[in-house]
Amino acid sequence: MQTSATVAPRGAAGVPTSHAAVQEPQQYLTFVIGGETFAIGILRIKEIIEFSGLTTVPMMPECIRGVINLRGAVVPVLDLATRFGRKPSEATRRTCIVIVEVESQDDKQDIGVIVDAVNEVLEIPGSEIEPPPSFGTKLRPDLIRGMGKIGGRFVIILDTNRVLASEEIGAASRGGSAEAVGDPIAAAA
Amino acid sequence: MNLDQAFETYVHESRDLLQQMEELLLEFSQGRSDPESVNALFRAAHTIKGSAGLFGLDGIVDFTHGVESVLDLVRDGAVPMTPDLAALLLECRDHMAGLVEAVAAGTELDDEALRTGAELQRQLGTYLGGEASAAQSPTAVVETGGSGVAGDEGYWHISVRFGRDVFRNGMDPLSFMRFLSTVGRIVAVTTLAHEIPAADEMDPESCYLGFEIGLVSAADQSTIEGVFDFVRDDCTLQILPPTSRAADYVALIEALPADEVRVGDLLVRCGAITEAQLEAALRIQGAEAAGIGDAAAQARLIGEILIAQKSVAPPVVEAALDKQKQLRDGKAQESRFIRVDADKLDRLINQIGELVIAGAGINLVAKRRGAADLLEAASVLGTLVEDVRDSALQLRMVPIGATFNRFQRVVHDVARDLNKDIALLINGGDTELDKTMVERIADPLMHLVRNAMDHGIEPTEVRVQNGKPARGTVKLNAYHDSGGIVIEVGDDGGGLKTDRIVAKAVSRGLIPEGAALTQREIHELIFEPGFSTASQINNLSGRGVGMDVVKSSVTDLRGTVEVDSREGEGTTIRIRLPLTLAIIDGFLVGVNDSVFVVPLDMVEECIEFTDAARTEARGREFVNLRGQVLPFIQIRDLFEIGGQPARRENILVVRYAGQRAGLVVDELLGEAQTVIKPLGKLFQKVRGIGGSTILGDGRVALIMDIPGLLRHVHGKATNREGASATALQ
Amino acid sequence: MRIDQRMTIYTAAELKPRLLAEIADSAVPSVDLSAVQEIDAAGLQLLLLARREAAAVGREFRILEPSECVREVLSLAAVSYMDSGPTSLGGPAT
Repeated sequence: MQTSATVAPRGAAGVPTSHAAVQEPQQYLTFVIGGETFAIGILRIKEIIEFSGLTTVPMMPECIRGVINLRGAVVPVLDLATRFGRKPSEATRRTCIVIVEVESQDDKQDIGVIVDAVNEVLEIPGSEIEPPPSFGTKLRPDLIRGMGKIGGRFVIILDTNRVLASEEIGAASRGGSAEAVGDPIAAAA
Repeated sequence: MNLDQAFETYVHESRDLLQQMEELLLEFSQGRSDPESVNALFRAAHTIKGSAGLFGLDGIVDFTHGVESVLDLVRDGAVPMTPDLAALLLECRDHMAGLVEAVAAGTELDDEALRTGAELQRQLGTYLGGEASAAQSPTAVVETGGSGVAGDEGYWHISVRFGRDVFRNGMDPLSFMRFLSTVGRIVAVTTLAHEIPAADEMDPESCYLGFEIGLVSAADQSTIEGVFDFVRDDCTLQILPPTSRAADYVALIEALPADEVRVGDLLVRCGAITEAQLEAALRIQGAEAAGIGDAAAQARLIGEILIAQKSVAPPVVEAALDKQKQLRDGKAQESRFIRVDADKLDRLINQIGELVIAGAGINLVAKRRGAADLLEAASVLGTLVEDVRDSALQLRMVPIGATFNRFQRVVHDVARDLNKDIALLINGGDTELDKTMVERIADPLMHLVRNAMDHGIEPTEVRVQNGKPARGTVKLNAYHDSGGIVIEVGDDGGGLKTDRIVAKAVSRGLIPEGAALTQREIHELIFEPGFSTASQINNLSGRGVGMDVVKSSVTDLRGTVEVDSREGEGTTIRIRLPLTLAIIDGFLVGVNDSVFVVPLDMVEECIEFTDAARTEARGREFVNLRGQVLPFIQIRDLFEIGGQPARRENILVVRYAGQRAGLVVDELLGEAQTVIKPLGKLFQKVRGIGGSTILGDGRVALIMDIPGLLRHVHGKATNREGASATALQ
Repeated sequence: MRIDQRMTIYTAAELKPRLLAEIADSAVPSVDLSAVQEIDAAGLQLLLLARREAAAVGREFRILEPSECVREVLSLAAVSYMDSGPTSLGGPAT
């Protein structure tokens, strides 16, 4: 599942929906968050692990649930439900963490995403993918890569680089601890 | 082909040598002088010139030759090293540095620099007097070098085999031969081609050559070795000094399987040994091969043979042997160091980090099983891993002295620009800290030193008026303190003027008018962004680097800065840094289900938070610790962990930079080594947490950033009370 | 044959087969070096190889008209001495 030479849809940040990317038939992982089905291109996904061993990081916004140990690396875990402005996910037996590789300007980072359940891996041909509607999905259109048609139903294909952009979430954390800012020195890294 | 690599090495080594020259010249300019320093200067100039010749950098060769010639006269005592000459040579050094940087950047010197160079050469020429003019061609250099050898010349034998990649690395073995002829007279050469393989296997871009060289020179061994500096890693070099033993020649001969006789003949032809000696040597060799050689025979010296022949007096031989021993010791000293890619060290340290985690895991399993023998073994392993860790971290440690010494020049130059008389005192230069830290602290230190000279030290007239010595002093000091390193930049100048700082801070809107601040808080204001105490703009303070940048650079290194200033007496800026960024000894505490790590060197003691103390502290955030007020932080509340406090809570007393505070936690879990794993960009803004680590059971624990935590709580308290009273003094 | 380019690491790969061909094809192998403007140790090494290969098949490899830089190199490496046999590579190299 690692990157390979044929990875076409490495849409650079800033290009909302690349046509070439949408047209190429690709495999997607579908999963459920808050009763709604979403999809992510599998080339981005490194692995899916059981939900356990989460360490909470204090004073962070709600959507950052904490960190886990992924074979010696410390990986942040996000709750997409709260990122999309919904209620936090409740952990159940079917809850999983999907490890996604995210690219930002200068590096790559692994980020875990909490999902209520993982469904299946599907191939969605480019012809079956519609551009995102400008409203009606309850999600900001720029977080959506396209609308995939599966068996007559639409699933939202997420633009992972956008959804998991650390700049944006980091900015949220600044707001989250705004009252703590009494002193201009950033916490030591 | 990799010319770049060799060239980079050249630039790098030249910079080192130029740095060395600068330090030596600064010593001279202060009136200190000793013959060894002159020799070191000469060698540095000589190597820069010779190496430049290898790369065909004629500009550097020409100019440096003049410098070298003057130094040669100084070395011979023909010209005294006066402060004037030291100043001129310092300027020449700068010009050389300019030349080197120009070739490094692939640019040409501008006209002004060229004029400066010509003028410097002219001035050097006045010292050379009747000697050759400064600007000589490289070939002329060879002749001067060769014939200029005076005094106790000796016959050196040099045996060199070049590595296969020498050509590909951009070097030409012949250049080294040419360079060699500048340190002595090459009286014999044998080019060895026997390693060239069969025609169809021979790679024309690989080097198969070797040379046996007879050199008559008065140079010392390190100078001769210096010729081969640029291929040192890429050749086999053997240098037999004039006083070598017969056995050494035998060893050399033995090392040449295909060409024994030829080399032996060569030695004889060069006069290093006589035919008879060669035969004797070969007999010894034969005896050894047959296993019947005795120690006496092996230790037999050419000198002994010569004495036996009554041609040399014993004391002469003894003296020669002493000299030989010194040379050997010097060589041993030199070869104790190897250059290693820093990335390799980092990889090693990472791996050891994993080992530490794995070891903690084993320890945990052993404890759980209650297997005494396994626990014992795990503890032995743990100790060993700890030792390995320390040694590995030690590899990255370098003394800060080299960085400090760079400031000699800065102080010299800036003092002249400011028209102030300022001395630099350096202490604790051998204090070691992580290489990355040394690199990253250099710029902030530079700013602090400049600042001390510019704003700290008063103009000479003012100093004299105030009854202070006319000469101001800037001090650099480094020492270890509670698991970290402290670097101080101090001056004996006027000190911070609190009223002016307050006025400026008010005018910049940093504090409200009439704010009641402690002395220390006022001093801290100089680190605020946009604050500058300069009452006049000059070229030093106009560099766009403020004290706020110094502070943020230090904070990035998990360090802190504080000011200690007395009006009229001077200012000391104190920087505290951790020793390393990779691994810390931690103390583990539990709150509810969460485990946190507190850096052990900040932990003072652990006390029980008794019911009595709890009752007493109700509604307040401090306890009475042996008669002293100890403010505390409820970690459960601060980190919003939730859950009910344990029936028995504990207080971990931490101390940082003179502040003490208690952390109220549920459980004390003991000490453990922890490998710091950065938390990544998402968590950049989080307060009180400095990183994370992986526990033996695989869980992630967060490492508390005690300074950050104290600042955070302090900030909250100040905000809440709207007053300057600090809970943590 | 005649070499009218540099004899350095940059040209060594190209020169090696030419020199070997000269030895194989010519009864009296020789090379005219009068037009060589630059020679380094890689070039020198090729000359040594050529000479050895020629000797192996009982021929003498002659160097004709070495240019000034070639002479300097042959002299520096004392190549004339190395060949103490009847064939003299760098005769004029003093």
